Amino acid sequence: MKSDLIREKRRREPWFAARRDLSPRRASLLGLLSFALPLLIWSAVSYLPFLWHPDMELQISADRENVTTVYVAGDRMSQDFFPEFQESVRVQNKALEAALASFDPAAEVPNGAAVRRANKKILRHLVPVLISNGWLTEEQAKDDGAIYDAWGRIAKGEAEPVRPRLSDENRAIVAKNWTAMSKLSAVYDSDRFISVPLLSLVPQGRPANPDYLPAPHEVVITGIKDFTAPPEAERPSMWQRVGHSIRIVFGGFLLAALVGVPIGVLCGTYPVFSKLIEPFTDFFRYMPAPTFSTLLVAIFLANDAPKVALVFVGTIFQLILVVSNTTRRLEMPLLEAAQTLGAKQRQLLTHVVIPGILPNLYNDLRILLGWAWTWLVIAELVGVKSGLTEFIETQGRWRNFDSVYPVIILIGLVGFFTDQILSAFSRIFFPWTTEAGGKPNPIVRAILFIPRWFRDAAAERIPYRPETRTRQTGEA
Amino acid sequence: MNTLVDPLSYRKQSDAVRSRFEAMKQRPVVLSVRNLHKTFPTPGGSVTALKDVSFDVYRREFMCVIGPSGCGKSTLIRILAGLEDSSSGQVLLDGNPVSGPGPDRGMVFQSYTLFPWLTVKQNVMFGPRMAGQKGAAVEGEARQWIDLVGLSRFENSYPHQLSGGMKQRVAIARALANRPRILLMDEPFGALDAQTRCQMQSYLLQIWKNLDITILFITHDLDEAAYLSDRILVLKANPGEVDEIIEVPVPRPRTPAQFVSPEFIATKYRIDHLIHPETAAETDSIPFPRMTVAGDDVE
Repeated sequence: MKSDLIREKRRREPWFAARRDLSPRRASLLGLLSFALPLLIWSAVSYLPFLWHPDMELQISADRENVTTVYVAGDRMSQDFFPEFQESVRVQNKALEAALASFDPAAEVPNGAAVRRANKKILRHLVPVLISNGWLTEEQAKDDGAIYDAWGRIAKGEAEPVRPRLSDENRAIVAKNWTAMSKLSAVYDSDRFISVPLLSLVPQGRPANPDYLPAPHEVVITGIKDFTAPPEAERPSMWQRVGHSIRIVFGGFLLAALVGVPIGVLCGTYPVFSKLIEPFTDFFRYMPAPTFSTLLVAIFLANDAPKVALVFVGTIFQLILVVSNTTRRLEMPLLEAAQTLGAKQRQLLTHVVIPGILPNLYNDLRILLGWAWTWLVIAELVGVKSGLTEFIETQGRWRNFDSVYPVIILIGLVGFFTDQILSAFSRIFFPWTTEAGGKPNPIVRAILFIPRWFRDAAAERIPYRPETRTRQTGEA
Repeated sequence: MNTLVDPLSYRKQSDAVRSRFEAMKQRPVVLSVRNLHKTFPTPGGSVTALKDVSFDVYRREFMCVIGPSGCGKSTLIRILAGLEDSSSGQVLLDGNPVSGPGPDRGMVFQSYTLFPWLTVKQNVMFGPRMAGQKGAAVEGEARQWIDLVGLSRFENSYPHQLSGGMKQRVAIARALANRPRILLMDEPFGALDAQTRCQMQSYLLQIWKNLDITILFITHDLDEAAYLSDRILVLKANPGEVDEIIEVPVPRPRTPAQFVSPEFIATKYRIDHLIHPETAAETDSIPFPRMTVAGDDVE
């Protein structure tokens, strides 16, 4: 066809053009990337060992003499310190090697009971390796018989741990210890257990990130585990905690809106109220709400009341100022036009100001709801700790950050989706605004799809009819 | 401006026009402005916006107010509407002094002041509803006013769905629905494009012809003033004073064809002379920089 031959060379739309709208496809793509990129960075830092990984996660640990700090498998230490840690164990082993090699089962050893206890501990240092290789179950972690047996199998070369592999150095240590131990007994017998100090395993580890940055999969797995686990006796389940937190935020926010919106509208409409109320409000909002927490506990006592009150105090002063500002932004000519049409002072308020500011007021409240969320954590620390914050606090103190992240992300998601849903409803509530005419963003579209589908279904209109399309293409 | 026109020919009225003005001045005065003064306090002392402004508007008259920018024409109309107070002087409507805004003086603003949350019909019903009227009668009447401005198809549309010209038509219908004694219009077509403005002027003349309504219309557009008005009130700037009240000699009914009639041109010439006394051809002395490369035969 002719049009193909002289096809115009279409100018490609530039990605960087000041204030120019991108095509919907590009906009969606970038929207997706804006979430994918942070996730990608997180994954890269977590899974690529050459990125960052400043710590060593211990797979095999050891005790050292005269050092009180105890490391167990799973602990992390800085990569700088790790060789020093290994070296100190090697030095310690060197001193014991001769005595162990010349161990005579017949000879009586002084202070045998204490050494036996220490030796039993050394045997157990292999337990994390045995468990991760599936040779022992978690319950068998203190089953000395099984552990003793495993030492024997490794020493005799009958079995070989692969996850993680033992270093040559450690295999040699296992062999030396076993040679000495087996002189007494081939199976574990607490009465016939070696009383000469055994060699400690040299610590082994792998590069790891600090515990405050768990990998994505750990967060997901722990999150699912936490949220599906049956609650401990007398403790709230995770979903009850979520509900509790939402109740505090919304309770405080709705109370603030109930009190603050009328005051704000009055301030924005009548300078009398504005001059009387706003200066003090402006001053009060600079006093941080958390400073009132002890006061609020004294007034409202325990339970949720002081928490709701804190969200209230933290929100209402901003709310009054924002609402009064929005009210003042209503175009003066609208009020003047209404007056020339015969509206009296009270009618101006009820028939012009209030309907006129509603869409902006709604948007303000959406933003202030986000503001209220920021008070959640502090509010839940007031008085008796509660809700999600108490969980974060407890887990954080135990350094279980993989349990902390899912909760933080969940709070973010709840806030984000509440906002998106409210934004979607804005189009239904206020059809006269210009924004209602534009194309909503994909998330809003997805939310709006549900009511529209019901409406279409009710009208027995099916939005997509394949046969119509076929006919149209046939004609073309 | 065309210097071939006799500067004072705007005063020559045909017999028909003269008798029309005589008849008009026999009619009762709807709006009477007496010695109106307005001063604004500013940090550098008070500024006089209006000084001793007096004039009458007769029933069914179409009067335009024109003047250079800053002559206080907007201040004048806002005082008449009751949106601002005068410093001294009186405004009489049907012989009664007015204070504060009221539905007896309908106003159409330059900015579209339709209530965005109300449909066209609800906007038109706003005045009657403020007066406490309800029911089907109000709605029926609102429909008539919407019909009058030719927007029946849009009675349930929201303002943001209308064009600028349509919005101003709704604003006119909304003001008329209160059955005001006088319609005050503050540069109502100033924000519209030239074609729409022309159309709206014809619309307005049509409405004015069919209704018993007096109109005071503020503009800065000479054509608009000469095309629409019976009389033109020309204001001087600094301070705003009545310069002259021109009786437009163009016969009615007016059509755009009259834009080239001698009376029309003479009127425009007169207004222009009053508003810009020294229209020196200053632009002629500006040097003429060359910007075009192609061709060198440009005069």
